[in-house]
Amino acid sequence: MRWGMVIDLKRCIGCYGCQLSCKAENGTPPGVFFARVHKQEEGQYPTAQTTFLPVLCNHCDDPPCVDVCPTGASFVWEDDGIVDIDADKCVGCRSCMMACPYSQRFLNDDPQNYYGDQGATPYEQARVERHQTGVVMKCNFCRDRVRNGQDPACVENCPTIARYFGDLDNPNSEVSRLIRERSGFPLHPEKGTNPNVYYLPA
Amino acid sequence: MDDVPQNLTNAAETTGEVDDKWVSSSCSLCYASCSIKAHRVNGTVIKIEGNPESAVGKGRLCGKGVSGIMSHYDPNRLNKPMKRTNPEKGKGVDPMWEEISWDEALDTVAGKLKALREDDPRKLLIMRTTTVMTQHIPPFAFMSAFGTPNASAAGGGLHCGNGAHLISGIMHSSWSIVPDFQYCNYAVYFGASKGHAAGHASCSNMTMAADARARGMKMVVVDPFANQAGANSTEWVPIRVGTDAGLALAMANVLVNELEMYDVAYLKAKTNMPYLIGNDTRYIRDSETNKPMVWDSATSQACTFDKTDSADMAIEGTYMVDGKQCRPGFVLMKEHLKTYTVERGEEITTIPAENIRRIATEFAEEARIGSTIVIDGVTVPYRPVAAIAFRGSQGHKNSTYNMLSVDLLNHLVGAADVAGGCLGFNPACDGYPETGRLKYIPHPDPDGLMITGSWMGPHGPYPIGDPAPPERVGLQNLFPMAMGSVFQGSTDQEEMWEKFDFDYRPEFLLNLGANQIMSVGNSDAVEASLKKFKFIVSFDIFATETTEFADIVFPDCGYLETTDSRSNFPFIFSLPAGLGEWCWPIRQEVVEPEGERRLFADVLQELGDRIGITPDLNAAYNAWFELEGENRLKPDRKYTFAEIGDHDLKDKFGPDKGLDYFKEHGLVKWPKKPNEVYWRAFTDVRVPLYWEWMNDTWEKTMAIAEPKGLDIPKEYYSPLPDWLPCPSHECDHEDFDFYAFYYRDIVHTNSLTMENAWLDEAAQLDPYSYNIAINASVGREKGLQSGDLISVENEHGHKVEGRARLTETIHPEGLGIGACAGHWARRMPTAKGKGVFFNDLVELDWHHSSPSNLTVDLCAKVKVTKLEAAQ
Repeated sequence: MRWGMVIDLKRCIGCYGCQLSCKAENGTPPGVFFARVHKQEEGQYPTAQTTFLPVLCNHCDDPPCVDVCPTGASFVWEDDGIVDIDADKCVGCRSCMMACPYSQRFLNDDPQNYYGDQGATPYEQARVERHQTGVVMKCNFCRDRVRNGQDPACVENCPTIARYFGDLDNPNSEVSRLIRERSGFPLHPEKGTNPNVYYLPA
Repeated sequence: MDDVPQNLTNAAETTGEVDDKWVSSSCSLCYASCSIKAHRVNGTVIKIEGNPESAVGKGRLCGKGVSGIMSHYDPNRLNKPMKRTNPEKGKGVDPMWEEISWDEALDTVAGKLKALREDDPRKLLIMRTTTVMTQHIPPFAFMSAFGTPNASAAGGGLHCGNGAHLISGIMHSSWSIVPDFQYCNYAVYFGASKGHAAGHASCSNMTMAADARARGMKMVVVDPFANQAGANSTEWVPIRVGTDAGLALAMANVLVNELEMYDVAYLKAKTNMPYLIGNDTRYIRDSETNKPMVWDSATSQACTFDKTDSADMAIEGTYMVDGKQCRPGFVLMKEHLKTYTVERGEEITTIPAENIRRIATEFAEEARIGSTIVIDGVTVPYRPVAAIAFRGSQGHKNSTYNMLSVDLLNHLVGAADVAGGCLGFNPACDGYPETGRLKYIPHPDPDGLMITGSWMGPHGPYPIGDPAPPERVGLQNLFPMAMGSVFQGSTDQEEMWEKFDFDYRPEFLLNLGANQIMSVGNSDAVEASLKKFKFIVSFDIFATETTEFADIVFPDCGYLETTDSRSNFPFIFSLPAGLGEWCWPIRQEVVEPEGERRLFADVLQELGDRIGITPDLNAAYNAWFELEGENRLKPDRKYTFAEIGDHDLKDKFGPDKGLDYFKEHGLVKWPKKPNEVYWRAFTDVRVPLYWEWMNDTWEKTMAIAEPKGLDIPKEYYSPLPDWLPCPSHECDHEDFDFYAFYYRDIVHTNSLTMENAWLDEAAQLDPYSYNIAINASVGREKGLQSGDLISVENEHGHKVEGRARLTETIHPEGLGIGACAGHWARRMPTAKGKGVFFNDLVELDWHHSSPSNLTVDLCAKVKVTKLEAAQ
């Protein structure tokens, strides 16, 4: 069992639904995005195009962030391949942030609420304050949801159905089929990390 | 890894009861009102998701929808009634708010309203925001009961679609138009973003548009900027701002006069193209019945349109009827279109002539004229092409024709409300099967032309009423094709009122959440119009820039604190078009209102009671909600808005399906049938491609206006559409070389969402949302680079400032700015100072508005000056 995600760039319209539903699900503090959309452009006028690249932790098979972690806080769940962080063991040294070729790890040391001196909202009290500060945080494929039989929040919400989630060890899963049939590709394969997030070409 | 909040565990331990509920309701971050499920744990909303049971949003939400929590819990929300203690009013002037009791606030306002009503009820102007579209009825009910003709949306509707709604109504019996995503193969978008996180049926359209693109639908996007719809296009067609009609009419010319590919059967049966037009530009009418006449080719004589098979009606030729020379409307159309060669199209739009010809040819070929398809056992016409337009293309002085010219393409190939074509949103409904209620269908007027089956108000878009001496402050009586009006905030409003001998002036503004100083045009003009009011009451969730002009502020409930029986009705507004389900969701309280907030609709009931108009209010609600029998409100009882909603639901769905049922189940739905969705083939109505009434309307308008010294340019009232320039196209001042325009940003809804901290953060990270997009080559030629602080000035000296963003994805003459940014209100700290306030470049006067529907032109010719290099 190896959880993986497929993002269909033909369907994505850059609405930021993943970025913001992730924020709502995980209660991440300002500046922290377990999921993000990068808006870029390609080509020259008049044939230029705006492109969208949704990014998140790639849950690599060979995650350099885990290799460099001096305390064992960064680890891979053996039963499903999800790369996760045990906040109790993290000392906030940021080695993993330096090691991650995808810049998908965040140190939780900035303000914890969005309205500054006006204090934490009831939502932030319920959802943001769960996170330890001074430690590194990242996407864990909404592991609690997944263990409950749900898809990660960004997948379940995506209004264009551009995100798919499933078992990459199973060749018959939808995600395996999509990668096979539509030439799915990971980001930066040259880094040798063997990511479990794939993209389908636009 | 325990995901249960700590306070939930504690509550369970101490009380033995856990409040952990998913509540079905409706979003309100924009007027699409997608269905939501809000997760409440111990009184706190901890998540908002789409409701997968609902056809409205299909269980998924855009970035704005999932971020509603932040608007709900914003500490800057209003919680108590307030009065201003600073008598001086002005842009940025501190009102010096003082919190007061509800009793004091209600006493003050009721007293003033009572006196005003006794004096002259017309002096009340009711303004409402479009983002509580779902609750548009309470202000209208109050307007009717109070006796004022003056109510409007968002300050007069710069950000709304006078042209789009008018033409969608007349031609499709709906508020807007959209491709039939399930079957369309080739869609041309003219300044529209259907399917790209904006507008009517927003989230459903996103899913359906993505399905269509994945299926292979080609999407050709005509837009000065390839940021949103253009980014997802098969082909982006950059166009000079405001010239969409020039392209559409050149394409129509290719269809009709070059390729000769048009749907003869459709034109004969479903339009007024066979109607005979005399040399006086009017129909040839039967002397007995007064009905329009056609030429019957079978009998070689003229007869009324309803006396022969449409197949026998001539659309070519010249005839003599009753001694008058006449020709079918289609002959005039063909001749008219001949003037729009592709070369002229290029001159107007900058789009190469060959591209215009190619796109028109692709459109014509893919239309598969004459074909049919069987859907669920029903045979329907199949025309898998659509040309759609919305805010961008019709937000110009030539609003009416820009929209009509685009829609003409659909009708020429018969692709209107048939499988794969351009659809209105649900123009016909066979009704809720268990009660037979909600049944509506377009029907013909005596001329055979379509009257809508359902509309957002009591007066449909067609027939066009007769112009009358103006009484409404926006002069809409004189301009019967106008919905919103420039004159509600224009610099020449006093001049107009004087010209037309107004015997009153608006004195009292009752504002329901609109922020008109940001939503209409340049703030100097709107400020001056606001300062004229003797008294302003504002119901709001934030102390916005407009609310800062108020004398009394009522803290309104937000959408998570509101119950409303009809969050997606009328179905012509925001229920997804095409096959699927009829779906009637409600909005309901997820949490109790915080602080002293009260729902504006209930406060209007209270005010009505205090000024003694409860019976009038109840009568108005009976009419607006179309309540029947025992579900009608009784005259003397003061109802809450939720109680009225209970009546509404039982009235439509039966006595067992009142508010309690809907609170538990969230919605009622049932399947759509092909004959409802593709109603046009099954409904004996025609639509006007030749707007015969225009000359009469112009003459009647002139008969009133000319003696008062107002000239109405006749070219805006021709029966056939033209490209006519915006004021920006006529500016020839040196160094004014950009057409500035605004667009709706994907993470923002008008000015409502900029105070939302998550959305603000997303917009700050977006390359364009808060910056000024300029073509990269042109920018470099001017010595600009991304991040430079620039000044943008229109020819009248109005200026805005902002940071340049050089991009290859914008037309070289275009300058794109995200709408309604640049807040300055002191109690909206997140929004304050973010982005650029484009509207300061928008002149508000007669010259900059559509002479036929009073739409304000959204573009301006501007000069760009570098103020400071990038940091």
